[in-house]
Amino acid sequence: MAKQPDIIPIKIDHDKCTECRMCYVVCREINFNAVIIDTAETHLHEIDMDRCVYPRCTVCLMYCPADASIVESETGKSLVPPPAEAWTEDKRWPRRA
Amino acid sequence: MDIHPILQEFLDKWVYPTGFTGPGYDFRMRFTERCLPAWNVATLRSVEAAEKDAQDPSREWLKNNAMAGYAGEGPQMSIKQMSTQLLAVSIEEQEKYIELQRMRAQQIWDEVKHGQLHADVLLRGKFIEKEEDLMESADANTLGILSYFGLTAMFPHIHPLARNAQHYFFEGTACLGIAVRIKYMDDPLDLHDNLSQYPEELMHFMEGKFQMDAYALTEAEQKPIEEALDFMMQPWAPTLADALTLDESLEAEA
Repeated sequence: MAKQPDIIPIKIDHDKCTECRMCYVVCREINFNAVIIDTAETHLHEIDMDRCVYPRCTVCLMYCPADASIVESETGKSLVPPPAEAWTEDKRWPRRA
Repeated sequence: MDIHPILQEFLDKWVYPTGFTGPGYDFRMRFTERCLPAWNVATLRSVEAAEKDAQDPSREWLKNNAMAGYAGEGPQMSIKQMSTQLLAVSIEEQEKYIELQRMRAQQIWDEVKHGQLHADVLLRGKFIEKEEDLMESADANTLGILSYFGLTAMFPHIHPLARNAQHYFFEGTACLGIAVRIKYMDDPLDLHDNLSQYPEELMHFMEGKFQMDAYALTEAEQKPIEEALDFMMQPWAPTLADALTLDESLEAEA
């Protein structure tokens, strides 16, 4: 997927993250697979910005239970619990039976 | 119904935000409406208990809470829950629900940690001299919340998604109780216990939230979750019955 200019880098704050892997589960569910285990450096869950399209997709933020554990990389702005603008109708994934 | 501010904060921060739309989310919102009265009463009861405990210098409540936690949140129950999930879900459905299995495996790690956490409180509170003392205590090894710690191991036999009623409703109640303790108590060991536990209970709540939003899309998938909630709200389920017994004095306070 070609990266768009409106994509904002986000990252996991490992001082806050509890490694519960809910972000991994939900990102896998929508087949983005942008949450990975970093095998080179941290060996922890990390967000692969080659795949992540935040703020177009915000699904990981909706099911993360650890306050302030996902943040915007540049500003450090906390995204958990998700701010209201992160779960507007256009950002939700439709599910059909 | 006047929503307690702690419950309102919980709803705004963790319940209403969603990553999905569609029948699963619509179902969860209807399910939430059923949970709300019980969550509200449970919050009021937790406040009442916290205010009482805060005035009790004996700290017997700390011991009792830690004993109950040690009995209820141990690896034994989580291993049962994972094994029943593995045994009850058909081979054909295992791939579809593989993350549910992994979450149960993750839970064992969490529960081992929690067993240690409660033992830690009992040791540092000088209620026991060594963890092995707990083997002599029935209180530390039995818990009478039948609806949660007993037959819930059977939920996967009903349907792979049935346990979400437990994740969502009961863990939501746990989160509210912990939030109350954090707000009302200043005992360092009580705070240690609750601050350590909060993200894990919230994670279980999120499991239920996610699985309802993403997987409970048809009536056939929603019905077993609804029935599991019916089961947990039975009047013979001891602790829950307390939460659901409408107390006029508490209602008046609210």
